[in-house]
Amino acid sequence: MKRKFIYIVTMCLFVCSCVNDDSYTMDDFRNTISIVYQGTSVQVSGDVKGLISVNGAHVTVNGSNNTTANLEITLSGSTTDGSLLVYNLRSYTLVLNGVNITNANGPAINNQCGKALYLICSNGTTNTLTDGATYAQAPTNSTGEVIDQKGTLFSEGQIFFRGTGQLTVNGNGKNGIASDDYIIIENGNINVNVSSTGSNGIKVNDGFTINAGTLNIDVSAKGARGIKNDATTTIAGGTMTIKTSGDCLIETNDGIADTTACAGIKSDSLFVMTAGTLDITSTGDGAKGINCSADIEVKGGRMTVTTTGTKDYSKPHGLKADGNVVFSGGEIYVCSARKAISTDSSFLINGGTVMAIGKKESEVSVNSTQNYSTYDDDDEIDAIGGESLSLDGVTYTIPSVFTCRDAFVIVSNSSM
Amino acid sequence: MDKSNRRWRHLAILCLSILVCQTGYSTASAQSSDFGMLYELGAEKKLSRKWNLGVETELRTRNNTRTLDRWSMGISAEYKIIKGLKASAGYTFLYDNNEEELSLKSDNVRANKWKPSYWGTRHRFNVSLGGNIDWGRLNISLRERWQYTYRPEMADKKYDIDEMTWSATKSKHKHLLRSRLQLSYDFPHWKFDPFANVELFNGWAIEKMRCNVGVDYKYHKQHVFSLYYRFQKVYEKGDENNHNTHFVGLSYKFKF
Repeated sequence: MKRKFIYIVTMCLFVCSCVNDDSYTMDDFRNTISIVYQGTSVQVSGDVKGLISVNGAHVTVNGSNNTTANLEITLSGSTTDGSLLVYNLRSYTLVLNGVNITNANGPAINNQCGKALYLICSNGTTNTLTDGATYAQAPTNSTGEVIDQKGTLFSEGQIFFRGTGQLTVNGNGKNGIASDDYIIIENGNINVNVSSTGSNGIKVNDGFTINAGTLNIDVSAKGARGIKNDATTTIAGGTMTIKTSGDCLIETNDGIADTTACAGIKSDSLFVMTAGTLDITSTGDGAKGINCSADIEVKGGRMTVTTTGTKDYSKPHGLKADGNVVFSGGEIYVCSARKAISTDSSFLINGGTVMAIGKKESEVSVNSTQNYSTYDDDDEIDAIGGESLSLDGVTYTIPSVFTCRDAFVIVSNSSM
Repeated sequence: MDKSNRRWRHLAILCLSILVCQTGYSTASAQSSDFGMLYELGAEKKLSRKWNLGVETELRTRNNTRTLDRWSMGISAEYKIIKGLKASAGYTFLYDNNEEELSLKSDNVRANKWKPSYWGTRHRFNVSLGGNIDWGRLNISLRERWQYTYRPEMADKKYDIDEMTWSATKSKHKHLLRSRLQLSYDFPHWKFDPFANVELFNGWAIEKMRCNVGVDYKYHKQHVFSLYYRFQKVYEKGDENNHNTHFVGLSYKFKF
């Protein structure tokens, strides 16, 4: 009994010492504004600094002074004629808390802040952004310059996608999502649908990275890319599905015809995949799976690429690189209506599980470090859509949209 | 009442007093300085006439005892050079609840960076040289201790309010010279030995001063209980305890 008493008192001493003594929480550093779209009007709360101006359901946030640090804007409600335009000097957070915005005359959301935009899709919410087929003249900013409006969701700065809610972006006039900086997908359930009157699914200038989450892109415009990236593309996790169905876009400038073929991913710098899954299907004329101006490196994850288009104006290669193509890990399955792998430099198989099927032959560099087998048209290998193909211990179920008889096949795995 | 019952009753009263004292301080507000408790548990083994080995663990509270401040565990070895002169060395693993910090911009109004409280480790090494002389029943001792503390980098502990990004706290090294002067008195035929000491923490300048007043109670030569009051005055901001603090300490040491 006496011992119990001592133990209880001792426990009390510890319990009394278990309080956090912090004076602040994250909420103390937020400048939170709530915007609720209500058809042709909005309800704004928390705008203690008078940053918001409203015209119908078109909202402008003017945070272009140094005191608007840690701005957090929460959007909810629905409008068929509304938008959000944000001017801010500092990075801020935009929370999509069940919002549906359609703007027939321009972007649904236009972020003119050059710093990071943390776009959070609240857990359990469904959010939809839609633009129109034609954009009205863009407004001017405080310095008199006409602002950019490059897509349904446009940002001058970086976009970090977070949260586990769903975001659907419908592009009818330009790109679905566009950033003049870089994009990092850290989480989310994102669908990008771009119609034949639009352009790319995602257009980004300074790099694209996906670490987690789900990204589905479906583009149907001529010459459109699922992701068009002017810098490095990194697939480090998550699940991506990209479909392109457009044919080549042929534009004539000064009497010279310029052909742009569709691609699941067009990367102007290194493409690297280390984890996650990537599934690309391109069905238009000359449409490629991945078109890279530098090296393509696959180190992990699972990549499946299918191209089925004709070659009237461009060649529908599975993976096309101006630099090297290097497989060193992961699973890579390619079905192409032309070459499975097309490179101006070396195609190295140094690891991973590979089955590359093409109508034309792809050449593997002799200095590859992992063994591989090649089959040509004399071997009479038929890759039939919906059927399973097994060669040298590698098995792949051919996508139903693809069929190639007397295919050229490259097979490799670590046990060969 | 037999001796055993009396011991338990005294111990229970002591624990209850501490709890009441702690609760009283917890509810008190508008304190200009902080109050905390110190709980120490140790063991000492005499290996030979010249060598001693010790282990010790300590728990410390702050925020008027409402918040756990630190837990530590250490090992030390002591060598008797000659009578009245000892050298020692030790290592202590510290697990600290680092206090919240908020820095302001140059206008002294807007917040710049925020570091919420977080638990982190530190490693501390020390080497000491101590001398003591007896003057009748009064013992005077002086200890000089070089102390090196290393705090590893901790990721995502500092929040940049403008950029809304978390960054790491950098690793830190610190050297200190601690000088302690102590007086203790051995009353004849009394098991309570009072002591008082003052210790200066010197890192190129005096950073901290610590004063202890307390009493040791020896029971059967093997058990040593201590109860003491400590006042710690901070002159220069350091890694921990950046405000003046009053402590009440309780310690128990078992001697093999």
